[in-house]
Amino acid sequence: MSPQSELSGKHILVTGASSGIGRQCAIAAAQKGAVLTLLGRNEKRLEETLKVLSRQEDQNHRIFTLDLTGFGEIKPLVQKALELNGPVSGFVHSAGVELTLPLKVMSPDHFNKLFSINVTAGFEIARLLSNKKNISRDGVSFVFISSVMGSLGRPGKVGYCSSKGALIAGAKAMALELAAKGIRVNCVSPGVVETAMTREMFAGLPEASREAIKKEHPLGLGQPEDVASAVIFLLSPGARWITGTDLVVDGGYSAL
Amino acid sequence: MKKELFFEQLQEIMEVDDEIGESTNLKELDEYDSLAVLSLIAFFDEKFQKKVEAESFETVETVRDLMGLVGMDRFS
Repeated sequence: MSPQSELSGKHILVTGASSGIGRQCAIAAAQKGAVLTLLGRNEKRLEETLKVLSRQEDQNHRIFTLDLTGFGEIKPLVQKALELNGPVSGFVHSAGVELTLPLKVMSPDHFNKLFSINVTAGFEIARLLSNKKNISRDGVSFVFISSVMGSLGRPGKVGYCSSKGALIAGAKAMALELAAKGIRVNCVSPGVVETAMTREMFAGLPEASREAIKKEHPLGLGQPEDVASAVIFLLSPGARWITGTDLVVDGGYSAL
Repeated sequence: MKKELFFEQLQEIMEVDDEIGESTNLKELDEYDSLAVLSLIAFFDEKFQKKVEAESFETVETVRDLMGLVGMDRFS
């Protein structure tokens, strides 16, 4: 099997595919031959992602627009995706929201929104997919996009850090529970990557803070491609003995 | 609950390929493990409003025994 085709014909579902890391994961997986189901909240941007995906004759990528906090919408949509593209070999939960807000002004609603999208929606999709009739028999890989903030703290990030930490802990438990079915479960934890989401976050910060964050990444800020290549590795057969781990991709941020 | 529906749901919960009936021996199913028991406790609680203790499962061998945990009168 050539490295270019290591995901050949494999059905992979990606959330958050309308932008940033999720979009790049979709692009990279399509290049490796995967057949994709893309979920995102913005139809126009999902279609833009679809347009840039490489596509052989047998690669019928599909897109579905949904609001991941509408948990009831998830099941029919996942069923539809399975009917159209068959059992899955991979799932990437890249949908996520960021919030920088001091604890004293955080409300339960703020926490709920962060956890609904970053954690619960991803675990709900994993739950639905994990039924043995929904998965490929030759190995399955679930990848949750966490963050270095899932293991490290930062002022103003209690909600974001805790939601990303929940992914890391949940992925470990899930890895143990689903190992017997041949499902591997891992996280990828990026440092600050230049995406629309982080540009928005940066826009709200003073120049000095932005510079400080850049300096905290010895290799500079990351690009979506840097994270996608780690995700592709975890999805690929080469990672078949890796489960329950958190792959840190942060340009040296957490080594400081 | 109709027995047929119960058997179908059991099959779904434990992800068993073969059909399940009243005389199916659960102990012979690989899928009937400690996590399956936890799923069944949650299932009985949700569908029958019946709290069944995990230790009650110790004497369960067949699907009929399982039905006995919530009471045979709950099935038609």
